[in-house]
Amino acid sequence: MTSDELMMDQRRTPAPRSVAPDAARVPPALLLQGVQIDRVGEADPWEPAAVEHLEHLVARIGPRPEGSVDLITVIERAGLTGHGGAHVPAAAKWRKTLRGGGPLTVVANGAESEPLSAKDATLMRQRPHLVLDGLALAAEALGADRAVVWLHGDDHGTAATLQGAIAERHAARLHGPTLELVMGPSHYLSGESSAITRALHGGPTLPTARRPEDPGSRSPRTLVHNVETLARLALVARGYAPSSTMLLTVLTPVSRMVFEVPRGTPVVDVLEGTGWLRNGPPQAVLLGGYGGQWAAWRDLRSATFDEPALRAAGLSIGAGVVAPIAHGACGLAETAAITAYLASMSARQCGPCLFGLPALADGMRALAAGDASRRERAQLLEDLRLVEGRGACHHPDGATRLIASALETFEHDVVEHVAGRPCPGSGRISLPVPGGHR
Amino acid sequence: MKKHGSTARLRIDAAACDGIGVCAHLASEVLELDRWGFPIITARDLSRGELSAATRAVRACPRKALWIETAEVPAVAERAPGVTTPS
Repeated sequence: MTSDELMMDQRRTPAPRSVAPDAARVPPALLLQGVQIDRVGEADPWEPAAVEHLEHLVARIGPRPEGSVDLITVIERAGLTGHGGAHVPAAAKWRKTLRGGGPLTVVANGAESEPLSAKDATLMRQRPHLVLDGLALAAEALGADRAVVWLHGDDHGTAATLQGAIAERHAARLHGPTLELVMGPSHYLSGESSAITRALHGGPTLPTARRPEDPGSRSPRTLVHNVETLARLALVARGYAPSSTMLLTVLTPVSRMVFEVPRGTPVVDVLEGTGWLRNGPPQAVLLGGYGGQWAAWRDLRSATFDEPALRAAGLSIGAGVVAPIAHGACGLAETAAITAYLASMSARQCGPCLFGLPALADGMRALAAGDASRRERAQLLEDLRLVEGRGACHHPDGATRLIASALETFEHDVVEHVAGRPCPGSGRISLPVPGGHR
Repeated sequence: MKKHGSTARLRIDAAACDGIGVCAHLASEVLELDRWGFPIITARDLSRGELSAATRAVRACPRKALWIETAEVPAVAERAPGVTTPS
């Protein structure tokens, strides 16, 4: 898309005006208005942001068109991909769903498990009807028997907004599928799609391995989409280009900033706009959150927020989390704290995760403390190989990817730590890792 | 139906596996145990001999955590260029 097309696209998108950090440079947003929130906890904005009511949405972009199976070609042409972190093409998920024959549940996944991410909660709180429209469209198009919004049990603010929005739709006698709000448990893996599937069929909220199924099977089907994906679906179905922007959560020393940027925005612009370049560039940036990857500043200086381009460089933005660390911080100590957190969040079902993640956390702790023996270092590398790809879900893979990227990005620090000279900053964790401050 | 047009792989449901280790006794040619006692599949496309070892492990697993997955192999002409057929 050319910049002219982008401009035009945004001109015909009368969405909330953006108050992103550097409002002068950031064009109007498609999905949400930028907010600032605390570094941890619920996504309560510091400055209240307006909730878009049903009549506002209809006045701005018109009523929701009816969902039919033809939508699959529309989303395919629009290149709609998942925004939960894995960037899977939505059309591929629809095709797979259509191959089965059992009762279908479509899920809007609003359980944002990555602790740093707050873009899904912010989106649902500002534009609940856009998300619900997307859910209704997908459910209608695929002939679903159930349409569910799935949230973390402790996300009270978002739940209240969605309940209000569902009640509004009811009062307006909106046609379409019945939309249910289901509060799941609050733990990390309750946002994992196979765990949601299992929970909605009456089981525990725990991930499952994908077992082979008979092609003609009538077993229940579940399609899980991230809420941002569904909000974009609601725009695509109305004829808007879906992928011209992306939502980011940027961690700063005092807050998290959630805002929308045009796809292809230089990383340096985003960091400048969030105040990160005031005292010189950061040392490194954690992209994608605690299950993401570290990238050295020199590798990001000329990079842009464009997933295909990042992938070509071996990186990914995941669900849009950007967490820089300053020069005084120790990347190995930060990684050790995150690994311990990820180990504590294991569902404790699969041996390689149950035993492997604590072993990796021990190895990283020793490395960060500057007293890892040769045997411990060899064990760390061996365990990375041993754990990778062996869980029923991808939770352990997030940890191995994070550690592998840390060993590469902070290569020089590894040498110093091993020589008994840990970074001066290794006693302090700058990221708000749950449990990271003892 | 012809059998030689398909490949077989041993698969594991890591959430169901409790690391009992019977499989490693019965099918050491296709899997080994990691340092915590959980199986790692070492064989990819199973030969006839490996397939019978894998089948023993599948049948014996007390947690029913193993299965054999078969996939049709496309004819040589349909394969990506540069891919050679293993003998």
